[in-house]
Amino acid sequence: MTDPTTEFFKDLDARGHEPLLEKATGTLRIDLSNGKRRPRWLVTVKKGDVTVSHANAKADCVVRMDQALFEQIVTGKENATAAVLRGLVAVEGNSQLLVLFQRLFPGPPNGRKQS
Amino acid sequence: MNGLVQILDGNTFVVSDARGDIEASLTDPTGLFSFDSRFLSTWILTVDGERLNPLSVDDLQYFESRFFLVPGTGTVYVDAKTSVIRRRAVGDGFHEELTILNHDDKPVDLKVRLDAASDFADLFEVKDALEKKGHYSTEVREGRLLLSYDRGSYVRQTAISATAPAKLDKKGLSFAVHLEPQGEWTTDLDVVTASGAGGTYTRPKYQRGQRKAQPNMERGLDHWLSAAPRLETDLDSLKATYRRSLVDLAALRFSPPVAGGRSLPAAGLPWFMTMFGRDSIFTSLQALPFTPELAATTIQVLGDWQGSRVDDFRDEDPGRILHEMRYGEMTAFEERPHSPYYGAADATPLYVVLLDEYERWTGDRRLVRAFEREARAALAWIDDYADLMDNGYISYQRRNEDTGLENQCWKDSWDSISYRDGRIPGFPRATCELQGYAYDAKMRGARLARDIWKDPAFADELEQQAADLKRRFNRDFWVEDGEYFALGLDNEGKQIDALASNNGHLLWSGIVDKSKAKRVARHLMGPRLFSGWGVRTLAEGQGRYNPIGYHVGTVWPFDCSFIAWGLRRYGFKDEAAVIAAGILDAAEFFDGRLPEAFGGYERGVTKYPVQYPTACSPQAWSTGTPLLLLRTMLGLEPQGDHLIVDPALAENIGLLALLDIPGRWGRVDAFARGRVEVAPELRRRARA
Repeated sequence: MTDPTTEFFKDLDARGHEPLLEKATGTLRIDLSNGKRRPRWLVTVKKGDVTVSHANAKADCVVRMDQALFEQIVTGKENATAAVLRGLVAVEGNSQLLVLFQRLFPGPPNGRKQS
Repeated sequence: MNGLVQILDGNTFVVSDARGDIEASLTDPTGLFSFDSRFLSTWILTVDGERLNPLSVDDLQYFESRFFLVPGTGTVYVDAKTSVIRRRAVGDGFHEELTILNHDDKPVDLKVRLDAASDFADLFEVKDALEKKGHYSTEVREGRLLLSYDRGSYVRQTAISATAPAKLDKKGLSFAVHLEPQGEWTTDLDVVTASGAGGTYTRPKYQRGQRKAQPNMERGLDHWLSAAPRLETDLDSLKATYRRSLVDLAALRFSPPVAGGRSLPAAGLPWFMTMFGRDSIFTSLQALPFTPELAATTIQVLGDWQGSRVDDFRDEDPGRILHEMRYGEMTAFEERPHSPYYGAADATPLYVVLLDEYERWTGDRRLVRAFEREARAALAWIDDYADLMDNGYISYQRRNEDTGLENQCWKDSWDSISYRDGRIPGFPRATCELQGYAYDAKMRGARLARDIWKDPAFADELEQQAADLKRRFNRDFWVEDGEYFALGLDNEGKQIDALASNNGHLLWSGIVDKSKAKRVARHLMGPRLFSGWGVRTLAEGQGRYNPIGYHVGTVWPFDCSFIAWGLRRYGFKDEAAVIAAGILDAAEFFDGRLPEAFGGYERGVTKYPVQYPTACSPQAWSTGTPLLLLRTMLGLEPQGDHLIVDPALAENIGLLALLDIPGRWGRVDAFARGRVEVAPELRRRARA
């Protein structure tokens, strides 16, 4: 069994091309923290063609948050933009990449927020 | 605005009293605001413990003002021996130069004090007076007074510092000032804002001696004004209105964080300095012949934020264009849905309309190709998500029942949509103008598909859908006994049969059968809708008509500008000229700055337009109104690589020339002479 984070990135990598990212070209690195672990995910986008790796490379946009929060986001239980506004997500670099990327996150289950 | 002084830069703005002081309460709208939060709610200057009295205020620029003050008791002026000047410029916080002059021939010692505090209220809290949930702290560190607010990870800070020696405490700054005879003392004060934990402070955008708009040359006011077409006319008031519109439009430019420094029109100053789908699109359409770059940014930013999932809290669907974005605390904690909120039923079809109109003017095929996916998703939204009643019409009903919007059309107040007898219909509601926008979006989408996306099959499909929609609409919405289009269809598919200004938007969209157009125009120019200044939002005699009701009887300049465009589309040139003349006459009463709305009173009765009290001035689409009226009066219409000029304007305007109109033709000039007779008595009567 894989965790939702791994599943999200595996899916994205497997798709190879993502129409919602066709206007994006650049690299987005997501640095997560999970206790002592610091998993990184590097998403490289070239006009919608996407590859995902764990490479520790410089990126056009770097996003940092707790892995628990990221899992909430990729399962639709949290909204990424609201989390950024709350200060739970640190964003450095080209934030337009993140605006385009956040469109890949699912909505709440059944469209409704679980309270 | 009640002696309040506003200056702004992007979505950072300062509202103070005429002394330059800020003395806010939770319900009082003064302060330093940035990204929808208040960063300073107290900023009071005293000299020897006394407040100052204002002599005059200069609004030097939209981002800068200067206050001339004297000490005094407040009731009786003493012969002031000292005077005080505060010069303030906003931008990443604000910069203030405080100068005190001694006019006496004796030296003087003064205790100068600035009290400072912040309640860090969210703009929504200022409107609704709500309690704060986080913690405040204040400290003096390294020559700065730091005011902080935190609610978990949500942190906002204000840092205040001075260049002259000051004693800082937790409630402000004190200066011991010694002035020689005829002497002068001065200090610079910097108030800067920061967000997020461990926030770093930048300097305010403006420093002493820097008085040009700084961010980049593109945004400089001089550059902005010189890039716009030049207007020459015999009518001085029109010249003034035109200039006012351009300057206000410059002030309303807003650079969202993702626009790469480019800007789109925000909705209104100061409370609506944010992205609004509908307002940004309408204003971009109005300004297209003058400043096409606003449309380009609007297309880009709204496209980037286009909805991608089903989210009931935000009323979001895939393909839907946002309604409103906010950045404050209540949005961050999801006490409000504006991150962003998508509850508008018109912005999505209008997005496609703007994309096509933009290309017709600029010939920028690259942008149309780049946003093909977004345009297709918007067109798909109309059929897949907006047809709530499964009857082939766009209708709306909020899914967020706590904090979502009930009426998701431009007339968004609670009672704006009613039957002729005043009853309020249930939900969903399919207002008529939405169907017009959908028709126009499909027709324009078809043109883009055929000419630019090279997809003739899709173009055929869209045209077929549009033709079908038009046929059904002219049957289902036509009120037989009134000979106009119903305001909408209710939740049972029955006509919401009130007569409203929405009929004019239908002409603009092209959905009206030619055979019905004359009767629609006659209503728009008739005594029930036309006040002599413009077209009332709701006709006199309807159940809910009220000449000062927000969307039920007032005249909205923006509404009238699109109605005039609609009249021209169906060949009613003189009628469009009459409406343009009425609105431009009204503008004269407001020094060229049209309000959001004014009373629907008969022109002959009040003689002047009665302003509707409103929080925002200037309002973006009111600012854009004179621009669109110039377009309609001159009959400017792109045709291939040429600009058609086919003027019809009121006699009193005399000669009118618009020089260097930018577009795919390069730059061209348009000349006209006023010939349409618009006698005051005629302005009140039907002419169609």
